[in-house]
Amino acid sequence: MNPLESLRLSWRSIRGHKLRSALTTLGIVIGIAAVIAFVTLGASLQAGIVGDISPDDQRNIYGWAADPDTEGGPLAGAQPVVSGDDLESIEGLEAVDAAYGYAPIQSQAVSSGGEQVAQGDGVIATGSSYVREDTLREGRQFEPGEREAVLNPAAAGQFEENVSVGDEITITILGGQQATAEVVGITDSNEGLSPFEGFEASPRIYVPTDPYYVEQAGAAGLGDEGPLGPDGGEDGGEPDTEDAVEADDADQAAQAQADGDDARFIAVVVEAPSADEDDIDAAREAAIDYLESDDSDASEFLGDDLAMTFQTSAELLQQLEDVLDLLQNFIVGIAAISLLVGSIGIANIMLVSVTERTREIGIMKAVGAQNRDVLGLFLAEAVILGVVGAILGTALGLAAGYLGAWYIDLPLVYPLEYVALAIAVGVLVGILSGLYPAWRAARTDPIDALRYE
Amino acid sequence: MARPDAETEVKEATAVSLENVRKTYQLGEPVHALDGVDLEIPRGSYTAIMGPSGSGKSTLMNLVGCLDTPTEGAVVVDGSNVATLSDRERTALRGSTVGFVFQTFNLMPRLTALENVALPQLFQGVGRDERRERARELLERVGLGDRIDHVPNELSGGQRQRVALARALVNDPALVLADEPTGNLDTGTEAEVLDLFGEFHDAGTTLVVVTHERHVAERAERIVHLLDGKIERIEELGSAGKPDEPVDGSAATEEP
Repeated sequence: MNPLESLRLSWRSIRGHKLRSALTTLGIVIGIAAVIAFVTLGASLQAGIVGDISPDDQRNIYGWAADPDTEGGPLAGAQPVVSGDDLESIEGLEAVDAAYGYAPIQSQAVSSGGEQVAQGDGVIATGSSYVREDTLREGRQFEPGEREAVLNPAAAGQFEENVSVGDEITITILGGQQATAEVVGITDSNEGLSPFEGFEASPRIYVPTDPYYVEQAGAAGLGDEGPLGPDGGEDGGEPDTEDAVEADDADQAAQAQADGDDARFIAVVVEAPSADEDDIDAAREAAIDYLESDDSDASEFLGDDLAMTFQTSAELLQQLEDVLDLLQNFIVGIAAISLLVGSIGIANIMLVSVTERTREIGIMKAVGAQNRDVLGLFLAEAVILGVVGAILGTALGLAAGYLGAWYIDLPLVYPLEYVALAIAVGVLVGILSGLYPAWRAARTDPIDALRYE
Repeated sequence: MARPDAETEVKEATAVSLENVRKTYQLGEPVHALDGVDLEIPRGSYTAIMGPSGSGKSTLMNLVGCLDTPTEGAVVVDGSNVATLSDRERTALRGSTVGFVFQTFNLMPRLTALENVALPQLFQGVGRDERRERARELLERVGLGDRIDHVPNELSGGQRQRVALARALVNDPALVLADEPTGNLDTGTEAEVLDLFGEFHDAGTTLVVVTHERHVAERAERIVHLLDGKIERIEELGSAGKPDEPVDGSAATEEP
């Protein structure tokens, strides 16, 4: 029998049981839709994150000292070990273009023009080239050693009167000291500028490490309770830091800061001359070699339980993507289980259908249907259910992915290969779940079938 | 009975021939449903098969209709010995040479009259347009030209049986096998359907009707009486289609 005729006849019997067919298909629809939606969201999320690395960032190497066994993202378990002198020395290395510290400053509030706004994090002390020139919407980078600040639009816009270049802001640091800064630049994006900050949009104020961090570290060192300021990872949005804090190290670090105004940085940024892989590796090696050598201040802390990690944004993102991939695989796995359940549903309903239509099978065989014709009819029916389910599921999944990406504000990326895969899976599920029922139908004895009530 | 050298002749003149056919079922102890049956059904003939329950009517019908194979002996349908055919060949032979009419009509419930009639040709690989054309023509011949798009549920019993008859004839079979074709019909409809059988017989169709109703059997040219898996006697009735007495209520009473 012509396969097209099989399909036509099978489609007739599917339409003959509309509700039953719809419910059977629903299992496949949900399974496929879940897979497609999560894969779409995953791909969009990755595209959103990867799209945030601008070319200039690619020559930056982000470093921090942590227990080598610590798992997690950037700054996980980071301890303040690198001193200002170290950074100067690193910057002097041939393979390195620039090196500066990075330290979140624990703040309480920010005020401008008499208006005060509470802001607990997002004040970041770092080097001037951290805020790259191409990310500035107006103004310029701040100068090291000056009381200047660069704000992102969210930070500038949180006051009733928008802060603009030339205004003065006052930052109230945790503990009550106040520091003023002249706004010299506004960035063009509310997203983080490096993996240290995370990529979510929030108000951020960038200030030079000297004087802001140096002062704060000195103040904290003079206080009774140890490293409030320098251990800024805690309030820098990195919850992983807490668990790895070694009391000894922290005390020593605090002690070292108390020794003078040579503040220790929880994190450093090293700029390679270019984004070329060799240059980056050279800069990374040079920085690590120096920090591990006896010449550096950091070496007194570095050892078996504290080692420097230097990674580029891309490498850090890779870790994040690995986690995302893992999560996505996990969800796809769960969705696959729902697909399995769906195909069992098809198999079940096909078996019922075969029993119910025993007489029809008998009639068809009596009028000359071969076993393969009957097999083809029932298999076609299962495949139609699978394919229709896959198509509807794909449409539903793409729509859900679209809504999700729109809601989280991600660039929409459709994983087209998964759409093709979904259709293939629909066919496969149909064949696998329809094979046994169809085989049962095919070997029905027409004499018994015609007698069947 | 049939001589080997006369095979061509047999093929030409005989639609079905049974030669010392036995069918034994193993139900704990062997049960001989048919116990040595010899029968020839000539082309163009109208034969009725009668017998009480358990006499082997159904078994005989299944064998003649190529639905089953004999335990012993030869069943030659349209020149092919069913016993020697594979399952697939038997199905192919059944599809092309036997048309079935059942007591319960056995139409496909979701297909229209036209599609039901066209169904056997679907399995013969006949094209869609040709199938529909042939089915329409036959439905017109059985008087259902205005009912071709109705599903069986929308048709009366008599109409359904006429659809079934049209379906049985669609492949131009060597033999139409009817199993209690009027068992589910009232007297008036029964007469109509039997008249139609007579018409097709007059037009050259070979008919075998299995029944336990005497007045139905009397429409045939001869009646084969089965008893305990053997042919008890063959009753020749002369010309077909003319019952000895007019069909009326008393004639329609069933045998116990």
